[in-house]
Amino acid sequence: MSKRSSAFLNHFSVRAPGGLNAAALFERICTSDTAIEPSTEYTPGKSVAIGKIPSSDDFETLLVQTVEEVLQASDLKDFSQTLLAVGSSVGGMATTERIVFRDHAYGGVDPQMHSINAIVKMLQKRFTFKNHLSFSTACTSSANALGYAMEVIHKGVYENVLVVGADSLSFTTVRGFDSLGVLSDAPCRPFDEQRKGMNVAEAIAALLVQATPAEAAVEIAGAGYSSDAYHITHPHPEGEGAQSAMKRALEYAKIAPEQIGYINAHGTGTQANDAAEAAAVAALFGKGAAISSTKSITGHTLGAAGALEAVVTAQALQQQEIPPNCNLQTPQNGEVELPTAPRKHPFKAALSNSFAFGGNNTSLVLRLPE
Amino acid sequence: MKQNLEILAASALYAPTRVEELHTKELVPKMTTRRRLTRAAKLVLELAHRSGFEQGRILYGSAYGELPATAAILRRIDEGEPISPTDFQNSVYNTAVSYLSMITKNRSEIMTVSSGDETAKALLQAAAVKAMDGDTLFVSATETLDIEKIEQVNRCIDYLESGAGFILRATDKPADLSFGRLQPLKGFAPSLACLIDLAQRCSDKNSPVLEVEL
Repeated sequence: MSKRSSAFLNHFSVRAPGGLNAAALFERICTSDTAIEPSTEYTPGKSVAIGKIPSSDDFETLLVQTVEEVLQASDLKDFSQTLLAVGSSVGGMATTERIVFRDHAYGGVDPQMHSINAIVKMLQKRFTFKNHLSFSTACTSSANALGYAMEVIHKGVYENVLVVGADSLSFTTVRGFDSLGVLSDAPCRPFDEQRKGMNVAEAIAALLVQATPAEAAVEIAGAGYSSDAYHITHPHPEGEGAQSAMKRALEYAKIAPEQIGYINAHGTGTQANDAAEAAAVAALFGKGAAISSTKSITGHTLGAAGALEAVVTAQALQQQEIPPNCNLQTPQNGEVELPTAPRKHPFKAALSNSFAFGGNNTSLVLRLPE
Repeated sequence: MKQNLEILAASALYAPTRVEELHTKELVPKMTTRRRLTRAAKLVLELAHRSGFEQGRILYGSAYGELPATAAILRRIDEGEPISPTDFQNSVYNTAVSYLSMITKNRSEIMTVSSGDETAKALLQAAAVKAMDGDTLFVSATETLDIEKIEQVNRCIDYLESGAGFILRATDKPADLSFGRLQPLKGFAPSLACLIDLAQRCSDKNSPVLEVEL
């Protein structure tokens, strides 16, 4: 099907470790000021480093605030003609945990507020949307929501899509990743020889994608999806699936690898992920595109990561500044370009990578409008 | 906007507790892999098998995802015990279709939609959007709710395990079915009750065409 329209990332807002708005987050990333701190809250007796949104407001309040800011910045009166596309890996899990651990029973659990759709339910208390759907593909959830937003605009189905990536911290995720032995007790060090693992974190990112560009818009030019078909948690060691997702995103956008100036890596800080991603990037780009992971500042915000990192990537394009790899001392893979300091650099297009359990891979191409 | 979808194959599975008539052993000869499969993965494998699906893009829907793994994790934490890594890695909503991809060596896109009681509608709308690319898709949905003490929260679902699977593609042919006219069958999880109805209606027709309002 021929493309009818372009998809523009016009407005965004975040609540994340490291920033209660997008500009503050980007500044913190570029000053390598990590927001990750050791905690025993979810793992009594064992300190692991996690990322919390620095606010005393509850998650639902933060969610509504974030979306309200996007609405206020936009040309929309309301969201009555807007599709809501949510990406979340845990939905209402934190609410369920509070009830189950208090009552030791399920009786008090509202199934509607347990499911992934809980994020939609929270937003529907304050906003009216034309339609909604939620993606839950673990750590690619909100990247897939963004890709879908681009697709429905290109296909002329919608003109406005609000993408929300949202995941709160939970015992299930922190203990779960701990059970896999992949948590670090310090801020993570993606792509470093001495990396010790990842940091679970929470975040909310709301992005308004529209068919008409606003001032300073960034275009979502392509999305590439693939499956590793390899292992339920381990990525393909050569990054075959990651490479395929990046290739498909570039093909969709009709962009050559040489035109990509920056890659926001999935870069979790685990041995397996970073090695596979670096191999995939090296195979496709060599040292032609600078790559950095911003999870050393924000932590891994799971289902929210794709949306949050699209906001970071969009700001990198807008400000023509490549974010650094914080905490990177000894790069393990010398075949990719891993900046350790922010770098002003003219570039027109960037990639944002998201990879997930099940070998689910998504790459998004963002570029400055022509 | 409306999009018509030609349904090339359809199947449904359901049981009050656990669907028994599965061919998992034949479909997954390797025991080490078979032992790790979740109930939802087994249902999806069966639906794919019955639909004749081999390779291609996959869309999957579930309101509650891998509830048995989630419940096991909650129970272990509540009891102060360490959780099972297998339960955790099997707890994400895309687990079932990820196993399908691994077993069939399918490197195509897989997407999981979860929209509560409106999952069936969201799934078919997403399928309609994806099908506009001209591809044939495997679309399935499952709920696997057979967990200990489910009666504490379940008040209307008689079939704790259920699923439906379809092979479909976009078409310009006129529709003889409309999503809006499907009946959410009583006793099924609301998230996929319409899909069970759709699968049953498809059994009476040759390549039925479904209209989906986007």
